[in-house]
Amino acid sequence: MNRNASGRESLLKKIQETDFALYETTLYLDTHPNDEKALALHKEYANASMELKQKYQSLFGPLTPAANTENTWEWVHGPWPWEM
Amino acid sequence: MFIYEKKLQFPVNIRNTNTKLANFIISQYGGPDGEMGASMRYLSQRFSMKDDNAKALLTDIGNEELAHLEIVGAVVHQLTKNATTAEIENSPFATYFIDHGKGVWPTSAAGQPFNAMSFAVKGDPITDLTEDLAAEQKARTTYDNILRVSSDPDVNRVMTYLRQREINHFQRFGELLNRIQCSK
Repeated sequence: MNRNASGRESLLKKIQETDFALYETTLYLDTHPNDEKALALHKEYANASMELKQKYQSLFGPLTPAANTENTWEWVHGPWPWEM
Repeated sequence: MFIYEKKLQFPVNIRNTNTKLANFIISQYGGPDGEMGASMRYLSQRFSMKDDNAKALLTDIGNEELAHLEIVGAVVHQLTKNATTAEIENSPFATYFIDHGKGVWPTSAAGQPFNAMSFAVKGDPITDLTEDLAAEQKARTTYDNILRVSSDPDVNRVMTYLRQREINHFQRFGELLNRIQCSK
């Protein structure tokens, strides 16, 4: 696992973009719970986010402690988000 | 409960040290209209909400404000981490530095420590949501003030993003308030 490999930053940016859209649909649905178009978009972004995070974690380490399924404790390794 | 995800909601890559600017921006960490007060306000107001949509929106926006707190902390950290003694001693950051070094501590730009009196929880949904609308505008104005005195593009893209989020939250809180008032 290479935490500083090229491609980490661009994949992380894709996750940030997708999760931003996902957060927007979340807040919108909290006040428009019956909007079918927003629900469909939410599902699309949620699936995209999950796929991107699986790919990121297999290459660059876990995003949450629960995702640390390797035989070594990768969770502690930097760079931490404020150091990137 | 909360689970930490090891990423910022918006990327922070500040290249230039600027202790003076850090001393302004710290206000959005622990100042009267900062992200610490915002997150505590919404996450605390949830308990006395009656409407399920209100519980959800306060949870989700309160959670996002914690992500913004982390972003502001990252900006302050990156603006100060490489500062030399000479850069610190003649800047407004000097007095902060004496007490906190290069650590990130919740205070206003004017040096007042974080105070829970900067937000309200009244246990009345209409009262609390009306406070939330004002709070989002006050936070937006503070980001406007920071943008007036900052000319660093690395900082400004982050401040502009956070400013825009206040506007989105204001919109959602307005919709929620209408929803609750119309259902009576």
